Amino acid sequence: MIAALPPPPPAVPAPAPERSVGTTDQVRIAAALTDARVRVDSSFQGASIVLYGAVFNPNDTPADVVVVVRGPDGPVRLVKKTRSNGVWLNSRPVLFEGAPGFYMTASTRPLSDIADFGQLRRLGVGVDHLRINAPEESRTVTRYGVRDVVVSRLGEDYLDFRRAVIRLREAAALYDTDPAGVQFVDRGLFRAEVELPAVAPTGRYFAEAWLFQNGEPVSVSNLTLTVEKVGIERDIFEFAHRRPWSYGLLCVLLAAFTGWAASRVFRRN
Amino acid sequence: MNWPLLVLLGAVVGFVSGLFGIGGGFLMAPILIFMGIPPAVAVASQASHVVASSTSGVISYTSQKAVDYKIGLVMAGGGVLGALLGVELFRYLRLLGQADLAVALSYLLFLGAIGTLMLYESLGQILRRVRGEMAPHKERRRPLWLYGLPLKMRFPRSGLYISAIPPFALGMFVGVMSAIMGVGGGFILVPAMLYVLRMKAGVVVGTSLFQIIIVTAMTTILQAGRNQTVDVVLSMLLLLGGVVGAQYGARWSGRFRAEELRAVLGLIVLMVGIQMGLELFVRPSDLFAFAPGVAQ
Repeated sequence: MIAALPPPPPAVPAPAPERSVGTTDQVRIAAALTDARVRVDSSFQGASIVLYGAVFNPNDTPADVVVVVRGPDGPVRLVKKTRSNGVWLNSRPVLFEGAPGFYMTASTRPLSDIADFGQLRRLGVGVDHLRINAPEESRTVTRYGVRDVVVSRLGEDYLDFRRAVIRLREAAALYDTDPAGVQFVDRGLFRAEVELPAVAPTGRYFAEAWLFQNGEPVSVSNLTLTVEKVGIERDIFEFAHRRPWSYGLLCVLLAAFTGWAASRVFRRN
Repeated sequence: MNWPLLVLLGAVVGFVSGLFGIGGGFLMAPILIFMGIPPAVAVASQASHVVASSTSGVISYTSQKAVDYKIGLVMAGGGVLGALLGVELFRYLRLLGQADLAVALSYLLFLGAIGTLMLYESLGQILRRVRGEMAPHKERRRPLWLYGLPLKMRFPRSGLYISAIPPFALGMFVGVMSAIMGVGGGFILVPAMLYVLRMKAGVVVGTSLFQIIIVTAMTTILQAGRNQTVDVVLSMLLLLGGVVGAQYGARWSGRFRAEELRAVLGLIVLMVGIQMGLELFVRPSDLFAFAPGVAQ
Protein backbone atom coordinates (compact mmCIF):
# COMPACT_ATOMS: atom_id res chain seq x y z
CA MET A 1 0.00 0.00 0.00
CA ILE A 2 2.70 2.36 1.00
CA ALA A 3 4.66 1.69 -2.15
CA ALA A 4 1.72 2.72 -4.24
CA LEU A 5 1.69 6.19 -2.80
CA PRO A 6 3.39 8.92 -4.85
CA PRO A 7 6.59 10.33 -3.31
CA PRO A 8 5.96 13.45 -1.26
CA PRO A 9 6.76 16.74 -2.97
CA PRO A 10 10.08 18.32 -1.97
CA ALA A 11 9.84 20.90 0.80
CA VAL A 12 11.61 23.51 -1.30
CA PRO A 13 11.38 23.27 -5.10
CA ALA A 14 14.86 23.33 -6.61
CA PRO A 15 15.44 26.16 -9.06
CA ALA A 16 15.52 25.09 -12.66
CA PRO A 17 19.15 24.83 -13.82
CA GLU A 18 20.01 27.77 -15.97
CA ARG A 19 21.75 25.89 -18.72
CA SER A 20 21.82 28.84 -21.00
CA VAL A 21 23.76 31.01 -18.64
CA GLY A 22 26.10 33.33 -20.43
CA THR A 23 24.61 32.78 -23.83
CA THR A 24 23.71 36.41 -24.04
CA ASP A 25 27.29 37.59 -24.16
CA GLN A 26 29.30 34.47 -25.01
CA VAL A 27 29.57 32.68 -28.34
CA ARG A 28 28.92 29.01 -27.77
CA ILE A 29 28.03 25.80 -29.60
CA ALA A 30 26.00 22.95 -28.24
CA ALA A 31 25.40 19.68 -30.04
CA ALA A 32 23.74 16.34 -29.52
CA LEU A 33 23.25 13.12 -31.39
CA THR A 34 19.84 11.71 -32.20
CA ASP A 35 21.16 8.33 -31.18
CA ALA A 36 24.32 7.63 -29.23
CA ARG A 37 24.15 3.97 -30.25
CA VAL A 38 24.32 3.47 -33.97
CA ARG A 39 23.46 0.06 -35.31
CA VAL A 40 24.90 -0.77 -38.68
CA ASP A 41 22.36 -3.00 -40.31
CA SER A 42 23.23 -6.35 -41.80
CA SER A 43 21.75 -5.55 -45.19
CA PHE A 44 24.98 -4.07 -46.63
CA GLN A 45 23.49 -0.62 -46.36
CA GLY A 46 25.26 1.01 -43.47
CA ALA A 47 23.67 3.62 -41.27
CA SER A 48 23.75 7.32 -40.68
CA ILE A 49 24.67 9.45 -37.71
CA VAL A 50 22.53 12.52 -37.25
CA LEU A 51 24.00 15.33 -35.21
CA TYR A 52 22.14 18.52 -34.47
CA GLY A 53 23.01 21.48 -32.39
CA ALA A 54 22.62 25.12 -31.67
CA VAL A 55 24.90 28.10 -32.07
CA PHE A 56 24.56 30.88 -29.55
CA ASN A 57 25.89 33.85 -31.39
CA PRO A 58 24.91 37.13 -29.73
CA ASN A 59 26.96 39.36 -32.01
CA ASP A 60 26.64 39.48 -35.74
CA THR A 61 30.05 38.05 -36.63
CA PRO A 62 29.37 35.22 -39.10
CA ALA A 63 30.11 31.81 -37.65
CA ASP A 64 30.99 28.52 -39.28
CA VAL A 65 30.27 25.06 -37.94
CA VAL A 66 32.53 22.08 -38.56
CA VAL A 67 31.48 18.61 -37.47
CA VAL A 68 34.16 15.95 -37.18
CA VAL A 69 33.31 12.31 -36.61
CA ARG A 70 36.14 9.87 -36.08
CA GLY A 71 36.10 6.16 -35.51
CA PRO A 72 38.44 4.03 -33.43
CA ASP A 73 42.11 4.08 -34.38
CA GLY A 74 43.71 0.97 -35.73
CA PRO A 75 46.92 -0.08 -37.42
CA VAL A 76 47.09 -0.03 -41.20
CA ARG A 77 49.42 -2.01 -43.41
CA LEU A 78 50.13 -0.63 -46.81
CA VAL A 79 52.10 -1.89 -49.77
CA LYS A 80 53.32 0.05 -52.75
CA LYS A 81 53.66 -1.54 -56.14
CA THR A 82 57.00 -0.91 -57.77
CA ARG A 83 58.22 -1.98 -61.16
CA SER A 84 61.21 -4.21 -61.39
CA ASN A 85 62.27 -5.94 -64.61
CA GLY A 86 58.96 -5.01 -66.18
CA VAL A 87 56.90 -6.70 -63.47
CA TRP A 88 54.85 -4.85 -60.88
CA LEU A 89 55.64 -6.17 -57.43
CA ASN A 90 54.47 -5.27 -53.95
CA SER A 91 56.94 -3.62 -51.63
CA ARG A 92 57.36 -4.80 -48.08
CA PRO A 93 54.26 -3.72 -46.14
CA VAL A 94 54.62 -0.52 -44.15
CA LEU A 95 52.80 -0.42 -40.85
CA PHE A 96 51.07 2.74 -39.75
CA GLU A 97 50.44 2.48 -36.05
CA GLY A 98 47.17 4.30 -35.85
CA ALA A 99 44.82 5.75 -38.39
CA PRO A 100 41.18 6.37 -37.58
CA GLY A 101 38.98 3.64 -38.98
CA PHE A 102 36.46 6.28 -39.94
CA TYR A 103 36.93 10.01 -40.43
CA MET A 104 34.45 12.45 -41.76
CA THR A 105 34.11 16.18 -41.68
CA ALA A 106 30.99 18.10 -42.51
CA SER A 107 30.99 21.85 -42.55
CA THR A 108 29.06 24.88 -43.65
CA ARG A 109 31.75 25.93 -46.13
CA PRO A 110 34.93 24.36 -47.52
CA LEU A 111 37.37 23.94 -44.63
CA SER A 112 40.03 26.03 -46.31
CA ASP A 113 37.64 29.00 -46.32
CA ILE A 114 36.80 28.57 -42.65
CA ALA A 115 40.27 28.55 -41.14
CA ASP A 116 43.83 28.64 -42.39
CA PHE A 117 46.15 25.70 -42.86
CA GLY A 118 48.03 26.14 -39.59
CA GLN A 119 44.91 26.37 -37.52
CA LEU A 120 43.36 23.26 -39.05
CA ARG A 121 46.64 21.38 -38.73
CA ARG A 122 46.91 22.32 -35.07
CA LEU A 123 43.37 21.15 -34.34
CA GLY A 124 43.69 18.08 -36.55
CA VAL A 125 40.53 19.00 -38.41
CA GLY A 126 40.18 17.80 -41.98
CA VAL A 127 41.37 14.72 -43.80
CA ASP A 128 44.55 16.51 -44.86
CA HIS A 129 45.40 17.22 -41.26
CA LEU A 130 44.71 13.80 -39.82
CA ARG A 131 47.29 12.50 -37.45
CA ILE A 132 48.27 9.16 -38.84
CA ASN A 133 51.07 7.85 -36.74
CA ALA A 134 54.11 7.26 -38.83
CA PRO A 135 55.75 3.91 -39.31
CA GLU A 136 58.28 2.68 -36.83
CA GLU A 137 61.81 4.07 -36.99
CA SER A 138 60.41 7.52 -37.42
CA ARG A 139 61.13 10.77 -35.67
CA THR A 140 59.67 14.21 -35.96
CA VAL A 141 61.67 17.27 -36.78
CA THR A 142 60.98 20.84 -37.66
CA ARG A 143 61.50 21.39 -41.34
CA TYR A 144 60.94 24.55 -43.38
CA GLY A 145 59.46 26.11 -40.27
CA VAL A 146 56.69 23.50 -40.04
CA ARG A 147 56.62 21.58 -36.80
CA ASP A 148 56.06 17.85 -36.52
CA VAL A 149 57.32 16.87 -39.92
CA VAL A 150 57.70 13.12 -39.82
CA VAL A 151 60.92 11.64 -41.06
CA SER A 152 61.17 7.91 -41.29
CA ARG A 153 63.04 5.29 -43.21
CA LEU A 154 60.44 5.91 -45.87
CA GLY A 155 61.93 9.36 -46.23
CA GLU A 156 60.12 11.47 -48.77
CA ASP A 157 57.85 8.53 -49.55
CA TYR A 158 56.10 9.00 -46.25
CA LEU A 159 53.80 11.67 -47.65
CA ASP A 160 52.87 9.43 -50.58
CA PHE A 161 52.02 6.60 -48.23
CA ARG A 162 50.01 8.92 -46.02
CA ARG A 163 48.08 10.28 -48.96
CA ALA A 164 47.48 6.71 -50.13
CA VAL A 165 45.95 5.71 -46.79
CA ILE A 166 43.56 8.63 -47.10
CA ARG A 167 42.81 8.03 -50.77
CA LEU A 168 42.09 4.32 -50.28
CA ARG A 169 39.91 5.01 -47.28
CA GLU A 170 38.07 7.71 -49.21
CA ALA A 171 37.44 5.20 -51.98
CA ALA A 172 35.87 2.90 -49.38
CA ALA A 173 33.70 5.80 -48.12
CA LEU A 174 35.43 5.56 -44.75
CA TYR A 175 36.97 9.02 -45.01
CA ASP A 176 35.00 11.88 -46.40
CA THR A 177 34.87 15.63 -46.54
CA ASP A 178 31.52 17.24 -47.07
CA PRO A 179 31.87 21.02 -47.45
CA ALA A 180 28.09 21.43 -47.34
CA GLY A 181 27.28 18.77 -44.79
CA VAL A 182 26.20 21.15 -42.07
CA GLN A 183 22.93 22.88 -42.78
CA PHE A 184 21.25 25.53 -40.75
CA VAL A 185 17.64 24.48 -40.47
CA ASP A 186 16.76 27.60 -38.56
CA ARG A 187 18.56 30.60 -37.19
CA GLY A 188 21.17 29.16 -34.84
CA LEU A 189 19.96 25.59 -35.27
CA PHE A 190 22.07 23.27 -37.41
CA ARG A 191 21.95 19.66 -38.47
CA ALA A 192 24.59 17.34 -39.92
CA GLU A 193 24.14 13.85 -41.25
CA VAL A 194 27.09 11.50 -41.60
CA GLU A 195 26.78 8.33 -43.65
CA LEU A 196 28.38 5.29 -42.13
CA PRO A 197 29.20 2.55 -44.66
CA ALA A 198 28.60 -1.09 -43.78
CA VAL A 199 32.36 -1.67 -43.59
CA ALA A 200 32.80 1.01 -40.90
CA PRO A 201 34.59 -0.37 -37.85
CA THR A 202 32.63 -0.94 -34.69
CA GLY A 203 33.50 0.63 -31.38
CA ARG A 204 33.64 4.03 -29.77
CA TYR A 205 33.38 7.04 -32.04
CA PHE A 206 34.11 10.64 -31.18
CA ALA A 207 32.17 13.52 -32.61
CA GLU A 208 33.24 17.14 -32.31
CA ALA A 209 31.30 20.19 -33.31
CA TRP A 210 33.55 23.20 -33.77
CA LEU A 211 32.46 26.77 -34.04
CA PHE A 212 34.75 29.06 -35.99
CA GLN A 213 34.69 32.81 -36.20
CA ASN A 214 37.16 34.77 -38.27
CA GLY A 215 39.23 31.67 -38.75
CA GLU A 216 39.56 31.03 -35.02
CA PRO A 217 37.93 28.20 -33.07
CA VAL A 218 35.72 29.83 -30.46
CA SER A 219 33.85 26.88 -29.04
CA VAL A 220 33.69 23.12 -29.25
CA SER A 221 31.30 20.46 -28.15
CA ASN A 222 32.53 16.89 -27.69
CA LEU A 223 30.34 13.83 -27.96
CA THR A 224 30.89 10.10 -28.02
CA LEU A 225 28.83 7.41 -29.67
CA THR A 226 29.00 3.66 -30.03
CA VAL A 227 28.74 1.91 -33.37
CA GLU A 228 27.76 -1.70 -33.34
CA LYS A 229 26.76 -4.16 -35.97
CA VAL A 230 23.54 -6.07 -35.66
CA GLY A 231 21.70 -8.67 -37.65
CA ILE A 232 22.51 -12.09 -38.97
CA GLU A 233 25.73 -11.06 -40.68
CA ARG A 234 27.09 -9.76 -37.43
CA ASP A 235 26.26 -13.09 -35.82
CA ILE A 236 28.01 -14.91 -38.65
CA PHE A 237 31.01 -12.62 -38.37
CA GLU A 238 31.21 -13.23 -34.63
CA PHE A 239 30.89 -16.96 -35.14
CA ALA A 240 33.57 -16.97 -37.85
CA HIS A 241 36.03 -15.20 -35.59
CA ARG A 242 35.23 -16.85 -32.27
CA ARG A 243 34.98 -20.43 -33.46
CA PRO A 244 36.74 -20.43 -36.82
CA TRP A 245 37.19 -24.20 -37.06
CA SER A 246 33.56 -25.12 -36.47
CA TYR A 247 32.63 -22.34 -38.85
CA GLY A 248 34.81 -23.79 -41.58
CA LEU A 249 33.43 -27.27 -40.98
CA LEU A 250 29.89 -25.93 -41.17
CA CYS A 251 30.65 -24.17 -44.48
CA VAL A 252 31.91 -27.42 -45.96
CA LEU A 253 28.96 -29.45 -44.70
CA LEU A 254 26.55 -26.86 -46.11
CA ALA A 255 28.31 -26.99 -49.45
CA ALA A 256 28.38 -30.78 -49.60
CA PHE A 257 24.74 -30.95 -48.59
CA THR A 258 23.73 -28.45 -51.28
CA GLY A 259 25.61 -30.47 -53.88
CA TRP A 260 23.97 -33.68 -52.74
CA ALA A 261 20.52 -32.08 -52.62
CA ALA A 262 20.91 -30.68 -56.12
CA SER A 263 21.88 -34.04 -57.55
CA ARG A 264 18.86 -35.67 -55.83
CA VAL A 265 16.44 -33.04 -57.09
CA PHE A 266 17.70 -33.19 -60.63
CA ARG A 267 17.84 -36.96 -60.83
CA ARG A 268 14.17 -37.20 -60.03
CA ASN A 269 13.22 -34.82 -62.82
CA MET B 1 27.35 -6.55 -52.91
CA ASN B 2 24.29 -7.48 -54.85
CA TRP B 3 23.14 -11.00 -54.37
CA PRO B 4 21.22 -11.75 -57.60
CA LEU B 5 24.43 -11.06 -59.52
CA LEU B 6 26.35 -13.50 -57.33
CA VAL B 7 23.72 -16.21 -57.78
CA LEU B 8 23.80 -15.62 -61.53
CA LEU B 9 27.58 -15.77 -61.54
CA GLY B 10 27.41 -19.04 -59.62
CA ALA B 11 24.95 -20.39 -62.18
CA VAL B 12 27.08 -19.39 -65.18
CA VAL B 13 30.27 -20.84 -63.71
CA GLY B 14 28.31 -23.91 -62.60
CA PHE B 15 27.03 -24.36 -66.16
CA VAL B 16 30.57 -24.16 -67.51
CA SER B 17 31.80 -26.60 -64.89
CA GLY B 18 29.02 -29.07 -65.64
CA LEU B 19 29.59 -28.72 -69.36
CA PHE B 20 33.32 -29.45 -69.17
CA GLY B 21 33.34 -31.71 -66.11
CA ILE B 22 35.57 -29.41 -64.07
CA GLY B 23 35.22 -27.70 -60.69
CA GLY B 24 35.19 -24.23 -62.18
CA GLY B 25 37.28 -22.68 -59.44
CA PHE B 26 39.85 -21.30 -61.88
CA LEU B 27 37.07 -19.29 -63.51
CA MET B 28 35.21 -18.22 -60.36
CA ALA B 29 38.13 -16.85 -58.35
CA PRO B 30 39.33 -14.42 -61.06
CA ILE B 31 35.79 -13.15 -61.69
CA LEU B 32 35.26 -12.52 -57.98
CA ILE B 33 38.57 -10.70 -57.75
CA PHE B 34 37.62 -8.67 -60.81
CA MET B 35 34.34 -7.76 -59.04
CA GLY B 36 36.35 -6.24 -56.23
CA ILE B 37 36.23 -8.96 -53.64
CA PRO B 38 39.60 -9.20 -51.87
CA PRO B 39 41.62 -12.04 -53.46
CA ALA B 40 42.09 -13.86 -50.17
CA VAL B 41 38.35 -13.91 -49.49
CA ALA B 42 37.50 -14.80 -53.09
CA VAL B 43 39.93 -17.69 -53.16
CA ALA B 44 38.81 -19.10 -49.81
CA SER B 45 35.06 -18.60 -50.22
CA GLN B 46 34.64 -20.11 -53.62
CA ALA B 47 36.37 -23.32 -52.53
CA SER B 48 33.05 -24.39 -51.03
CA HIS B 49 31.44 -23.77 -54.42
CA VAL B 50 33.91 -26.32 -55.74
CA VAL B 51 32.94 -28.72 -52.92
CA ALA B 52 29.27 -28.46 -53.85
CA SER B 53 29.65 -28.92 -57.59
CA SER B 54 32.14 -31.76 -57.12
CA THR B 55 29.84 -33.52 -54.66
CA SER B 56 26.99 -33.62 -57.11
CA GLY B 57 29.47 -34.74 -59.78
CA VAL B 58 30.86 -37.60 -57.70
CA ILE B 59 27.36 -38.81 -56.86
CA SER B 60 26.49 -39.17 -60.53
CA TYR B 61 29.87 -40.75 -61.41
CA THR B 62 29.56 -43.22 -58.51
CA SER B 63 26.26 -44.47 -59.90
CA GLN B 64 28.13 -45.11 -63.18
CA LYS B 65 30.90 -46.93 -61.20
CA ALA B 66 33.38 -44.40 -62.55
CA VAL B 67 35.19 -43.51 -59.32
CA ASP B 68 38.31 -45.33 -58.09
CA TYR B 69 38.07 -44.62 -54.39
CA LYS B 70 41.33 -46.39 -53.57
CA ILE B 71 43.64 -44.26 -55.68
CA GLY B 72 41.41 -41.30 -54.87
CA LEU B 73 42.12 -41.73 -51.17
CA VAL B 74 45.87 -42.01 -51.76
CA MET B 75 45.79 -38.78 -53.76
CA ALA B 76 43.55 -37.13 -51.19
CA GLY B 77 46.05 -38.06 -48.45
CA GLY B 78 48.72 -36.17 -50.35
CA GLY B 79 46.20 -33.44 -51.08
CA VAL B 80 45.39 -32.85 -47.41
CA LEU B 81 49.09 -32.59 -46.59
CA GLY B 82 49.52 -30.23 -49.53
CA ALA B 83 46.56 -28.13 -48.39
CA LEU B 84 48.10 -27.80 -44.92
CA LEU B 85 51.35 -26.61 -46.46
CA GLY B 86 49.55 -24.39 -48.94
CA VAL B 87 47.43 -22.60 -46.34
CA GLU B 88 50.51 -21.92 -44.20
CA LEU B 89 52.38 -20.70 -47.27
CA PHE B 90 49.44 -18.47 -48.21
CA ARG B 91 49.34 -17.06 -44.69
CA TYR B 92 53.04 -16.27 -44.82
CA LEU B 93 52.73 -14.66 -48.25
CA ARG B 94 49.82 -12.55 -47.05
CA LEU B 95 51.88 -11.25 -44.16
CA LEU B 96 54.66 -10.41 -46.60
CA GLY B 97 52.13 -8.63 -48.80
CA GLN B 98 53.01 -10.98 -51.66
CA ALA B 99 49.83 -13.08 -51.83
CA ASP B 100 48.61 -11.19 -54.93
CA LEU B 101 51.87 -11.92 -56.71
CA ALA B 102 51.73 -15.62 -55.86
CA VAL B 103 48.13 -15.87 -57.07
CA ALA B 104 48.79 -13.98 -60.31
CA LEU B 105 51.97 -15.89 -61.06
CA SER B 106 50.45 -19.32 -60.43
CA TYR B 107 47.50 -18.49 -62.65
CA LEU B 108 49.74 -17.23 -65.42
CA LEU B 109 52.08 -20.22 -65.32
CA PHE B 110 49.68 -23.10 -64.80
CA LEU B 111 46.65 -21.89 -66.69
CA GLY B 112 48.82 -20.55 -69.46
CA ALA B 113 50.67 -23.85 -69.86
CA ILE B 114 47.65 -26.16 -69.48
CA GLY B 115 45.47 -24.00 -71.71
CA THR B 116 48.08 -23.93 -74.45
CA LEU B 117 48.55 -27.72 -74.31
CA MET B 118 44.81 -28.41 -74.37
CA LEU B 119 44.23 -26.05 -77.24
CA TYR B 120 47.15 -27.49 -79.22
CA GLU B 121 46.12 -31.10 -78.67
CA SER B 122 42.41 -30.64 -79.33
CA LEU B 123 42.86 -28.40 -82.37
CA GLY B 124 45.22 -31.00 -83.82
CA GLN B 125 42.58 -33.64 -83.30
CA ILE B 126 39.86 -31.52 -84.89
CA LEU B 127 42.10 -30.76 -87.88
CA ARG B 128 42.86 -34.45 -88.38
CA ARG B 129 39.16 -35.28 -88.26
CA VAL B 130 38.35 -32.60 -90.81
CA ARG B 131 41.09 -33.89 -93.15
CA GLY B 132 39.97 -37.45 -92.53
CA GLU B 133 43.36 -38.58 -91.25
CA MET B 134 43.92 -41.38 -88.77
CA ALA B 135 44.90 -40.53 -85.23
CA PRO B 136 48.62 -41.14 -84.78
CA HIS B 137 49.60 -44.18 -82.76
CA LYS B 138 49.73 -43.23 -79.11
CA GLU B 139 52.59 -44.21 -76.85
CA ARG B 140 50.75 -46.23 -74.23
CA ARG B 141 53.83 -47.14 -72.21
CA ARG B 142 53.90 -45.59 -68.77
CA PRO B 143 57.07 -43.82 -67.78
CA LEU B 144 59.43 -46.38 -66.27
CA TRP B 145 60.10 -44.46 -63.07
CA LEU B 146 56.54 -45.17 -62.01
CA TYR B 147 57.57 -48.80 -61.58
CA GLY B 148 60.95 -48.21 -60.01
CA LEU B 149 59.54 -46.67 -56.84
CA PRO B 150 58.75 -48.58 -53.64
CA LEU B 151 55.33 -48.94 -51.93
CA LYS B 152 53.60 -50.62 -54.84
CA MET B 153 49.82 -50.88 -54.65
CA ARG B 154 47.12 -52.41 -56.80
CA PHE B 155 44.39 -50.10 -58.10
CA PRO B 156 42.13 -52.51 -59.99
CA ARG B 157 39.51 -49.98 -61.08
CA SER B 158 42.14 -47.80 -62.69
CA GLY B 159 43.95 -50.81 -64.11
CA LEU B 160 47.16 -49.87 -62.31
CA TYR B 161 49.79 -51.63 -60.26
CA ILE B 162 52.17 -48.84 -59.36
CA SER B 163 53.92 -47.20 -56.44
CA ALA B 164 51.69 -45.07 -54.19
CA ILE B 165 54.25 -42.26 -54.27
CA PRO B 166 53.38 -40.63 -57.63
CA PRO B 167 49.63 -40.33 -56.94
CA PHE B 168 50.41 -39.11 -53.41
CA ALA B 169 52.87 -36.51 -54.73
CA LEU B 170 50.42 -35.44 -57.44
CA GLY B 171 47.71 -35.02 -54.79
CA MET B 172 50.05 -32.99 -52.62
CA PHE B 173 51.02 -30.66 -55.44
CA VAL B 174 47.37 -30.06 -56.29
CA GLY B 175 46.64 -29.47 -52.59
CA VAL B 176 49.15 -26.62 -52.47
CA MET B 177 47.68 -25.17 -55.67
CA SER B 178 44.22 -25.50 -54.26
CA ALA B 179 45.11 -23.38 -51.25
CA ILE B 180 46.92 -20.68 -53.21
CA MET B 181 44.77 -20.42 -56.31
CA GLY B 182 41.46 -21.43 -54.75
CA VAL B 183 40.90 -24.03 -57.41
CA GLY B 184 40.01 -27.67 -57.16
CA GLY B 185 42.91 -28.44 -59.45
CA GLY B 186 40.96 -30.63 -61.87
CA PHE B 187 42.65 -28.97 -64.82
CA ILE B 188 46.03 -30.22 -63.53
CA LEU B 189 44.80 -33.53 -62.09
CA VAL B 190 42.94 -34.81 -65.12
CA PRO B 191 45.79 -34.50 -67.64
CA ALA B 192 48.31 -35.79 -65.09
CA MET B 193 46.16 -38.82 -64.31
CA LEU B 194 45.64 -39.51 -67.99
CA TYR B 195 49.09 -38.91 -69.42
CA VAL B 196 51.45 -39.54 -66.49
CA LEU B 197 49.71 -42.20 -64.40
CA ARG B 198 47.90 -43.58 -67.47
CA MET B 199 44.76 -44.41 -65.56
CA LYS B 200 41.74 -45.80 -67.38
CA ALA B 201 40.09 -42.82 -69.03
CA GLY B 202 36.64 -43.78 -67.76
CA VAL B 203 37.48 -43.31 -64.08
CA VAL B 204 39.68 -40.22 -64.38
CA VAL B 205 37.09 -37.45 -64.04
CA GLY B 206 35.08 -39.12 -61.26
CA THR B 207 38.20 -39.93 -59.26
CA SER B 208 39.64 -36.45 -59.66
CA LEU B 209 36.34 -34.95 -58.46
CA PHE B 210 36.42 -37.26 -55.43
CA GLN B 211 39.94 -36.14 -54.56
CA ILE B 212 38.94 -32.51 -55.15
CA ILE B 213 36.05 -32.71 -52.67
CA ILE B 214 38.33 -33.90 -49.89
CA VAL B 215 41.07 -31.39 -50.62
CA THR B 216 38.87 -28.34 -51.09
CA ALA B 217 36.84 -29.25 -48.01
CA MET B 218 40.11 -29.37 -46.08
CA THR B 219 41.23 -26.08 -47.63
CA THR B 220 37.97 -24.37 -46.69
CA ILE B 221 38.24 -25.51 -43.08
CA LEU B 222 41.89 -24.49 -42.88
CA GLN B 223 41.30 -21.11 -44.52
CA ALA B 224 38.44 -20.45 -42.12
CA GLY B 225 40.39 -21.64 -39.11
CA ARG B 226 43.75 -20.08 -39.83
CA ASN B 227 43.06 -17.05 -41.99
CA GLN B 228 39.37 -16.32 -41.35
CA THR B 229 38.86 -15.54 -44.99
CA VAL B 230 35.78 -17.68 -45.71
CA ASP B 231 32.58 -15.72 -46.24
CA VAL B 232 29.70 -18.15 -45.85
CA VAL B 233 27.12 -15.75 -47.29
CA LEU B 234 29.19 -15.22 -50.41
CA SER B 235 29.87 -18.91 -50.84
CA MET B 236 26.24 -19.91 -50.28
CA LEU B 237 25.04 -17.41 -52.89
CA LEU B 238 27.57 -18.71 -55.37
CA LEU B 239 26.85 -22.36 -54.81
CA LEU B 240 23.07 -21.99 -54.90
CA GLY B 241 23.42 -20.82 -58.47
CA GLY B 242 26.31 -23.16 -59.05
CA VAL B 243 24.64 -26.49 -58.33
CA VAL B 244 21.70 -25.69 -60.58
CA GLY B 245 23.94 -24.42 -63.37
CA ALA B 246 26.14 -27.52 -63.09
CA GLN B 247 23.19 -29.86 -63.67
CA TYR B 248 22.15 -28.04 -66.83
CA GLY B 249 25.76 -27.88 -68.00
CA ALA B 250 26.11 -31.65 -67.57
CA ARG B 251 23.01 -32.21 -69.73
CA TRP B 252 24.31 -29.99 -72.48
CA SER B 253 27.72 -31.61 -72.58
CA GLY B 254 26.35 -34.62 -74.50
CA ARG B 255 25.61 -32.39 -77.50
CA PHE B 256 29.23 -31.63 -78.33
CA ARG B 257 32.24 -33.67 -79.38
CA ALA B 258 34.85 -34.21 -76.66
CA GLU B 259 37.67 -32.52 -78.59
CA GLU B 260 35.53 -29.48 -79.38
CA LEU B 261 34.72 -29.10 -75.70
CA ARG B 262 38.41 -29.45 -74.85
CA ALA B 263 39.34 -26.79 -77.42
CA VAL B 264 36.85 -24.31 -75.97
CA LEU B 265 37.93 -25.15 -72.42
CA GLY B 266 41.59 -24.76 -73.40
CA LEU B 267 40.81 -21.33 -74.83
CA ILE B 268 38.98 -20.26 -71.66
CA VAL B 269 41.79 -21.57 -69.44
CA LEU B 270 44.41 -19.78 -71.51
CA MET B 271 42.47 -16.51 -71.50
CA VAL B 272 41.93 -16.59 -67.74
CA GLY B 273 45.64 -17.29 -67.22
CA ILE B 274 46.62 -14.35 -69.43
CA GLN B 275 44.06 -12.05 -67.84
CA MET B 276 45.32 -12.84 -64.33
CA GLY B 277 48.93 -12.58 -65.39
CA LEU B 278 48.38 -9.26 -67.11
CA GLU B 279 48.08 -7.60 -63.73
CA LEU B 280 51.81 -8.19 -63.28
CA PHE B 281 52.68 -6.17 -66.36
CA VAL B 282 50.09 -3.43 -66.53
CA ARG B 283 50.63 -0.31 -64.49
CA PRO B 284 48.12 -0.51 -61.62
CA SER B 285 45.60 2.31 -61.37
CA ASP B 286 46.66 2.88 -57.78
CA LEU B 287 50.22 2.10 -56.80
CA PHE B 288 49.23 1.65 -53.18
CA ALA B 289 47.05 -0.99 -51.62
CA PHE B 290 46.12 -2.09 -48.14
CA ALA B 291 47.88 -5.24 -47.08
CA PRO B 292 46.02 -7.71 -44.92
CA GLY B 293 47.48 -8.86 -41.65
CA VAL B 294 45.89 -6.34 -39.31
CA ALA B 295 42.26 -5.51 -38.79
CA GLN B 296 41.29 -3.00 -41.44
